[in-house]
Amino acid sequence: MTRKHRRLLIVLACGAGLSTATALALGAFRSTIVFFMTPADIAEQHPPVGRTIRLGGMVEAGSLRRTTEDGQPVATFKVTDGRDAIDVSYTGILPDLFREGQGVVAMGELRPDHVFVADEVLAKHDEKYMPKDVAEALKKRGYWRHGQESQPVDLSAAPTETSAR
Amino acid sequence: MDAGTLATTPRSGRGLHRFANPGRFLRLASRVQPFLTWPGLALLLIGLYAGLFIAPPDYQQHDAMRIMYVHVPAAILAETGYWALAAASLVSLVWRHPLADLAAKEIGPVGAGCALLCLASGSLWGKPMWGAWWVWDARLTSVLVLFFLYIGHILVIRAFDDPERGYRAAAILALIGAIDLPIIKYSVVWWNTLHQPASLTLTGSPTIAWPMLWPLLLCIVGASLCFGAVVTARLRAAVMERRIATLLRAQAEQAG
Amino acid sequence: MTHLPYIAGAYGLFALVASWLGLDARLRLHRTERRLRAVDPRARERATDFRAQDRAQDRA
Repeated sequence: MTRKHRRLLIVLACGAGLSTATALALGAFRSTIVFFMTPADIAEQHPPVGRTIRLGGMVEAGSLRRTTEDGQPVATFKVTDGRDAIDVSYTGILPDLFREGQGVVAMGELRPDHVFVADEVLAKHDEKYMPKDVAEALKKRGYWRHGQESQPVDLSAAPTETSAR
Repeated sequence: MDAGTLATTPRSGRGLHRFANPGRFLRLASRVQPFLTWPGLALLLIGLYAGLFIAPPDYQQHDAMRIMYVHVPAAILAETGYWALAAASLVSLVWRHPLADLAAKEIGPVGAGCALLCLASGSLWGKPMWGAWWVWDARLTSVLVLFFLYIGHILVIRAFDDPERGYRAAAILALIGAIDLPIIKYSVVWWNTLHQPASLTLTGSPTIAWPMLWPLLLCIVGASLCFGAVVTARLRAAVMERRIATLLRAQAEQAG
Repeated sequence: MTHLPYIAGAYGLFALVASWLGLDARLRLHRTERRLRAVDPRARERATDFRAQDRAQDRA
């Protein structure tokens, strides 16, 4: 065995060890790395009332109500993952991309009455890009996922994070 | 040993070591250079222009999606650049190839620039679209780690009085850091993140409509060629700098 | 154009970083070529005819 071979073996062995260690560590910290919990996760894990968590999912079509309270805009809507749904209430200005049928991530806490009070709402965009006329043509031809206001069906084989559930 | 021949009179070799010969590398690189620089610049400029003025706005993001013509090439090159850096580091560690040492040294700053652009342009997109400049989700965090890996590599490879020790230490750092590359790529698949999954994949058809896609493809190809052109130019300069240093040392020894 | 400041920021930053990297590489290359020609007399003759040089290399 030449020195080059020995060096290559050492590097490969270190690489294998490091990859295994990283995979184990990432597996162990899975719940911390995950950016948000879905309504189904919350239904399964019952996070304690009052703990700050992030809730992610789709804004259920037809669930958005906008009111004002002491001059501040208040929005209430349902966040769903197709299985469970949670009522969310948010005081403040919603981001540009916030729509019914679009993904959102809300940070806040669950009240005892199972309403999620959000301090911050982020819009989650999907990976699809198309011009307005294409989107309208798709809508007209009925290629729009049922029950969701502004979510086109898959244009391709690539699954979206929500349809995978 | 093949190391140390870099500055001496070139001699022909076999396989990889043909290109360890600095004279041959310089001639090959100076011939390849114009084919990287000019098509790269042309494609990149056309792509960026088309992205700004010809591509139609997105049905939801409107014009903010134009940021992707900067963001996507920068992200691809930050990641591919690190693959190249890791490959050069492996060759440097195992085969002690002198050109690989210099390649690792010269790729670092260019890749770091791409990673910085990726983070900054992503942030400029995130504010109007998500509603936040920055979130600590798995994708954004792993790309930030990539940027720090580049910075660490740049510092370590220049930190030693004996350059050989710097090359070894930096190569080890680069190879350890390579574990971040699959994490970046699959972060949007393994964990739920705020960042959307990939629109361009090797296996599926793209989820970007054609009128928006072609400028992006031009930008990606153009930016990749430009990346290659910059690294080639830096590497040529580095090889020549090394030869100058050796010649000056030899002259000083003759004189003394 | 909507979101103009953000788009301008992203493109501007891109232009800044890309032109800095490009110009730095170009200037460094030219400077080094000049210095090499000053130090190494053979470099002057080698400037052209790459094929002949490669053939000479392979014979050597």
